[in-house]
Amino acid sequence: MISCMGKVLRVDLTTGTTTVEKIPDEVYEAVLSGKGLGAWYLYKNIPAGADPLGPDNILGFCSGALTGTGAMMTGRWTVVCKSPLTGGWGDANCGGYLSPAIKQCGYDAIFFSGISDKPVYLYCDNKKAELRDASEYWGVDAVDAENMLREAHSGGKIPRIAVIGRAGENLSLISGICNEGGRIAARSGVGAVMGSKKLKAIVLAGSKPIKCADHAKVKALSKELGRKIHKISVPKGLGGSLAIGGIGMGKSPVTLPLDGSLTPMLFKEWGTPSNTPMAVMSGDGPLKNWGVGTPEGGGLKMALAYNPEKINKIEEVKYHCYSCPLGCGGRLDLSDIASTEFYDTHKPEYETLQAFGPLAMNSDLNSVLHINELLNRAGMDSISAGNTVCWAIECYENGILTKEQTDGLELTWGNYEAEIALVNKMINRDGFGNDLADGVKRASEKYGGKEFAMHVGGQEPGMHDTRNDPQLAIHMAAEPAPGKHTIGMSIQYGAMSLCDICSWAPPATMHSKGEDLEPTDTMAYISKANACYSMLFDGIGGCYYAEMMGVHMYKTVDFINAAAGWDYDGDHYMEIGARIQTIRQMFNVKHGYAPADVKLPKRMLGKPPLSSGPLKNVTLKTEEQIALHWKAFGWDEKTGEPLPETVESLGIGKLMEV
Amino acid sequence: MAVKKYPHFHYDNCVSCGICVQACPVGAIDLTRRGKSGKYKNNFPEIVNDRCIGCSMCATSCPMDCINMTADYEG
Ligand code: SF4
Ligand code: SF4
Ligand code: SF4
Repeated sequence: MISCMGKVLRVDLTTGTTTVEKIPDEVYEAVLSGKGLGAWYLYKNIPAGADPLGPDNILGFCSGALTGTGAMMTGRWTVVCKSPLTGGWGDANCGGYLSPAIKQCGYDAIFFSGISDKPVYLYCDNKKAELRDASEYWGVDAVDAENMLREAHSGGKIPRIAVIGRAGENLSLISGICNEGGRIAARSGVGAVMGSKKLKAIVLAGSKPIKCADHAKVKALSKELGRKIHKISVPKGLGGSLAIGGIGMGKSPVTLPLDGSLTPMLFKEWGTPSNTPMAVMSGDGPLKNWGVGTPEGGGLKMALAYNPEKINKIEEVKYHCYSCPLGCGGRLDLSDIASTEFYDTHKPEYETLQAFGPLAMNSDLNSVLHINELLNRAGMDSISAGNTVCWAIECYENGILTKEQTDGLELTWGNYEAEIALVNKMINRDGFGNDLADGVKRASEKYGGKEFAMHVGGQEPGMHDTRNDPQLAIHMAAEPAPGKHTIGMSIQYGAMSLCDICSWAPPATMHSKGEDLEPTDTMAYISKANACYSMLFDGIGGCYYAEMMGVHMYKTVDFINAAAGWDYDGDHYMEIGARIQTIRQMFNVKHGYAPADVKLPKRMLGKPPLSSGPLKNVTLKTEEQIALHWKAFGWDEKTGEPLPETVESLGIGKLMEV
Repeated sequence: MAVKKYPHFHYDNCVSCGICVQACPVGAIDLTRRGKSGKYKNNFPEIVNDRCIGCSMCATSCPMDCINMTADYEG
């Protein structure tokens, strides 16, 4: 594939050696690059039963097949490994500038195996790839370590750096990997894998050219998108009305497909924090550890506490990932907030706001801004950490945890000072925090309160309530890396118009919410299509929000064809997505992770149903729907294992012999 | 003797995507110029040191055609 480098770098940390491996073209044809290349490589090379924190696990940093071609919004990088959190397939995705930098060093991915006996970092440029001593950076937080490393490698090409903080060094199973001052590839415990390898950072300063088959065409497509997004401007001060929109969404008896062009409007103006007030009111955002409906969850008062206009007021400047005209990120100025010692932070994502705000019944925005920076510097996943802290609060409120056990912390709903203290303890593996640093599953196994422990197969779920979206429930439970909210959602599906590029993707229609509660084949093909498109995006290095713009605004098929010099249709690319997804599931099966054993916690299924709010009386039939979802993929309906004929028809057997 | 050319940025259409910055092989430009894109505060690319070798890779990479190579140095 012309837009890929055709090579990966393999680093053996035990011996300190680096090897360049050529990747045959048929691999790119079959799975593109990014997560697809990572899935192919890890399935082949990690032995069954490998200890996720041992030398046999492989940690991969993957770029995207379109990254660096001039195609906008393709600057995402994916980390892949066997997850220490779930024991199965692990991946995490992040923006920033690392993705093009991987390719400019001459590789589509960098894979690490083995374990170093002392802290090291990888330095890579056009000429060399070498491990260097990282002892002076070990123990330094992710933001400071990145700044130090950038300074140490200044004077030429701007180095792009991925780094772990204390959470990764401490092998916290809910730690991630950071770049660009605390943007984090957060999920699956990828930071712990990096920490276990004693790999502090990778520093990439290559400047090799990235090829593109039809640069003029890619440029024209990017320009068209860039112009549209450039023109968007939302009138000031509308943030307060988002909560009202949420009320409407919650009350509406129907699901309405929204236009994809809403995505850039909301995210250019406010970023993902635009969702918080809507989510509190609509039922999308889980409240009080997924335990109550909107009124008990704080209602309008809670929603308005997270009015994103408050965040816009302290936004110093927008932040754009590489190649992105939208810029949903931002840098916030915290210098006037007396309750934090930090001067600035990345604009928190909705996930972080919800997990430490309404999920914990905390209406103090400033405390969440502080926690955001704490976690970004430590490199700890805010979704997992938030769910874990809320479990502790609910256990404390119910007498399962005593003040003695919490090291004297009064873990009551809304007590944000205790929340902050607990997060600090988790980051430093201090006392009670040590037991929470590995996520809620392990904490609840030690202390009890399993009914309050919100995790799916070991991973804590993203901040979107499955009772509000039966399609999301499928992805959260049946996704090879469970608990993720970025694989598919009905609101996303409604915005994408996938039926216009894929012959078997059902059209998104206006329909009653009750219809989604009944298992159907249509829903199965919707969830399959959504997952395939998501895999395709992770193969090209694309951003989730470009997906959400829909196929008419973000012309994925045209972009890939122009960059690769191909002439395939949407069905072909959706099949690539299905292939990637199937390999990820095969990885799980190979490693003894049984998909059918992964269950959503009862609360996420509405068992018992909530007694108030938009999700009142909703109970899901997720298990029946999962069987149909697996069937649509050509996987065994009962076990979730890909059937031999599916593996055969997707050509995966042959691919693994390449 | 050929006159060395430097990038000259037209910020009106610039979307702060940073493609030009990452294309520069010597780290001569960065997104450090604070400005406005409509009502939004953004960082824009500018020359940040004297390392520019005039290769014009930034200009060819810009999808919005915001960069001209001219003989005037604007850093
Ligand atoms: S939309 Fe946001 S997350 Fe996506 S590439 Fe742009 S800045 Fe990054
Ligand atoms: S002309 Fe070349 S060296 Fe100069 S700023 Fe542009 S890319 Fe960098
Ligand atoms: S590539 Fe063009 S649009 Fe993007 S930041 Fe540079 S000048 Fe602006």
